[in-house]
Amino acid sequence: MELNPIKDAFDSVIKKQTLSSSKIEDTIEQITQEIQQTLSGIQSAINVPSSQPKLILGELKTKLKEIAPLNHLEATQKELNIAMSKYTKLLEKQFYPDISKSYRNVDFDTHIINQIIASHLYRESMFEIGDCFINEAHEEETIVDKKTQFLEMYEILESMKSHDLTPALKWATTNHDKLQKTGSDIELQLHRLQFLEILQNGSRDEALKYGRTHFAPFATQHFHEIQKLMACLLWVGKIDSSPYSDLVSPTHWAKLADELAQQFCNLLGESYESPLKVTVAAGVQGLPTLLKLMNVMTGKKQEWQSMKQLPVPVDLGTEFQFHSIFVCPVSREQAGEDNPPMMMSCGHVLCRQSITKLSKNNSTRPFKCPYCPAEVEVAQCKQLYF
Amino acid sequence: MESNTNGNSAVSNATISSATATSLPSVQGAVPSSKLTQLTESLKLEHQFLRVPFEHYKKTIRANHRAVEKEVSAVMSTLSDSGDLSQDDAVKHLNSLVSRLQGLKRKLEDGSRAEHLQAQRCKARLDHLESAGADNISEWNNTRLKRILVDYMLRMSYYTTATQLAESSHIQDLVDIEIFYEAKRVMDALRNKEVAPALAWCADNKSRLKKSKSKFEFQLRLQEFIELVRNEKNLQAVTYSRKHLSPWAASYMKEFQKVFATLAFTCNTGCETYKVLFDAKQWDFLMEQFKQEFCRLYGMTLEPLLNIYLQAGLSALKTPFCYEDDCPKEDPLSQESFRKLAMPLPYSKQHHSKLVCYITKELMDTENPPLVLPNGYVYSTKALEEMARNNNGTITCPRTRDVFSYSQVTKAFIS
Ligand SMILES: [Zn+2]
Repeated sequence: MELNPIKDAFDSVIKKQTLSSSKIEDTIEQITQEIQQTLSGIQSAINVPSSQPKLILGELKTKLKEIAPLNHLEATQKELNIAMSKYTKLLEKQFYPDISKSYRNVDFDTHIINQIIASHLYRESMFEIGDCFINEAHEEETIVDKKTQFLEMYEILESMKSHDLTPALKWATTNHDKLQKTGSDIELQLHRLQFLEILQNGSRDEALKYGRTHFAPFATQHFHEIQKLMACLLWVGKIDSSPYSDLVSPTHWAKLADELAQQFCNLLGESYESPLKVTVAAGVQGLPTLLKLMNVMTGKKQEWQSMKQLPVPVDLGTEFQFHSIFVCPVSREQAGEDNPPMMMSCGHVLCRQSITKLSKNNSTRPFKCPYCPAEVEVAQCKQLYF
Repeated sequence: MESNTNGNSAVSNATISSATATSLPSVQGAVPSSKLTQLTESLKLEHQFLRVPFEHYKKTIRANHRAVEKEVSAVMSTLSDSGDLSQDDAVKHLNSLVSRLQGLKRKLEDGSRAEHLQAQRCKARLDHLESAGADNISEWNNTRLKRILVDYMLRMSYYTTATQLAESSHIQDLVDIEIFYEAKRVMDALRNKEVAPALAWCADNKSRLKKSKSKFEFQLRLQEFIELVRNEKNLQAVTYSRKHLSPWAASYMKEFQKVFATLAFTCNTGCETYKVLFDAKQWDFLMEQFKQEFCRLYGMTLEPLLNIYLQAGLSALKTPFCYEDDCPKEDPLSQESFRKLAMPLPYSKQHHSKLVCYITKELMDTENPPLVLPNGYVYSTKALEEMARNNNGTITCPRTRDVFSYSQVTKAFIS
């Protein structure tokens, strides 16, 4: 979107506004001066008995009427008003003026939304704000467990920032079995980092001792990795200039911290990204399509409120693709349990209903694949599971 | 296998497009151009972001102009009324006019300070929109989420949290806390069953409310009348209605008559039609009504932005698969709370297949095509190749635990 015309329109509002302000100032100044002049006129004539204040006041009145202060201001104010309404109109033209157009008037449970917000605040490490929110929204502290859990995670990550692995290792050791079950080797990765940290600080004996105690449980599964690590002992204190220099690259810390957060969330049964963040991001991407849809659906507001499926596809980035959706290229329908995707012997895939139609409901008669010259049979079609 | 013209051409197309993609200089770094198009499109949703501070600015300008008009015409008219004065009185009179004008000047100085601040705020917002780009996209998106949350909190009257969140993220200029404090005064009063601040607010915005044919003021007046009847101040009620209700009678005759009839029924009435008028819920209704008028006046959506974005996002994400047990955790709709919110919303629609590998969670497309195991389960080429490499050519289906050889795998062609 081109923001410059909008900025220009706003600058023109500011310009007219400055003009109008100074005009107002001038006018008030002018009136004040006229009155003060009259005032000094009366005062200097105070001992002249023939002076007539009524006459002098009358003169002032005529003068002020000639100045016509309010009429004077009108023109600049009108210009300002034009500039302001131009800006408002430009905004309406360049932006979606009402993004609630596609909003469905359904009961959106405030309590649920509040709970979602509270856990979002906690998982983004905004603990104080989360507490404040729960308090102000009168939400019960049912998510207080979540808070303690994420608090632990952020303490681990904070320590890692200052190259202290103690809390991380403590967590990994406690959850050793669970981590093994999910196939994560993060515990070994943490030990490796600790080992290299000791090596870099120059103590071979200590490193050797650390390696012996902590690598042993992983020896069978990660033999090669551990061999390489032990070879590092030869370069104690100068690994950065050894063949193993890539092992001590500082990026390992950041990467491992990310990995740890992911594993931590995984063990909690939580997603790595905040679900609120994901949904709002999807909403930002999807809303323009919905708003365009509403423009062509004017007059069908009622229909929109009760639709079971969106009439148009809303394209989201691949980061929002959590499920395999198969759309039959023949019928354009989404496959489901009652109409699953089937692969024909040529390798092309259609949904079952389309295959039934193409074969004219005859399971032995061969029919031609719509996408290649192959002749195929229903009996040889295979249901697919994505 | 038969000739697969389709599959082959798809593959060669893919190689061509990837070749051109790599030969292009990557100006935008890691962010693909489609992301930037999306960003531009998403900026168009920010109407309210620019409109609200501008309405505030306009309001201040208008108030200042009104003050000038009022004072100047007052000065002019008292001058006309001055008539026959002694010299002393004339001096006194003129002095009072001068000090009146000086008062106006001071008032305008304050007013233009406020105008300036609000203009700055409008500018800051334009600059913020302009700052969105490839290099700060994730930070910018995080700020947007915070703005949306602050908006929600303000509309729900969670002022303390809203302020804390805005301050801790340094986004005070990007949210409308001040404006909502204006609403807070009125809301608090209505909660205490006082209409005076609400009426003052109506007077402040008289011309604009009239333009939008708002009957909020009438509703407030009705409530005041009802309260008089409730307290059996019937005589006062009649006087009140003559003064404040009758101007509305022509437009809202039916309501006017109905409320007027309460004089006969009093608050202990058993008649349903009149009972509801005495219900304490009428005050909640007024609060709701005020919120709507308030939002409309500032060019805000009536719903919190959060609800609007959540609904759009949930509809776009919702598929029948989200409600199955194996819905992956990364899908917000795997969570009960999100599922409940999505319940009354439509499912998304796809015109083309989009297949995600169960193992790697990556998209299966021409560059990473889907492969079929003899049991019908489909995984991406990348995933199965790696599995075969690590296991001497054998593949274990992660869902059925069946074991196959990599040579048994066949290609599926998805068009
Ligand atoms: Zn075929």
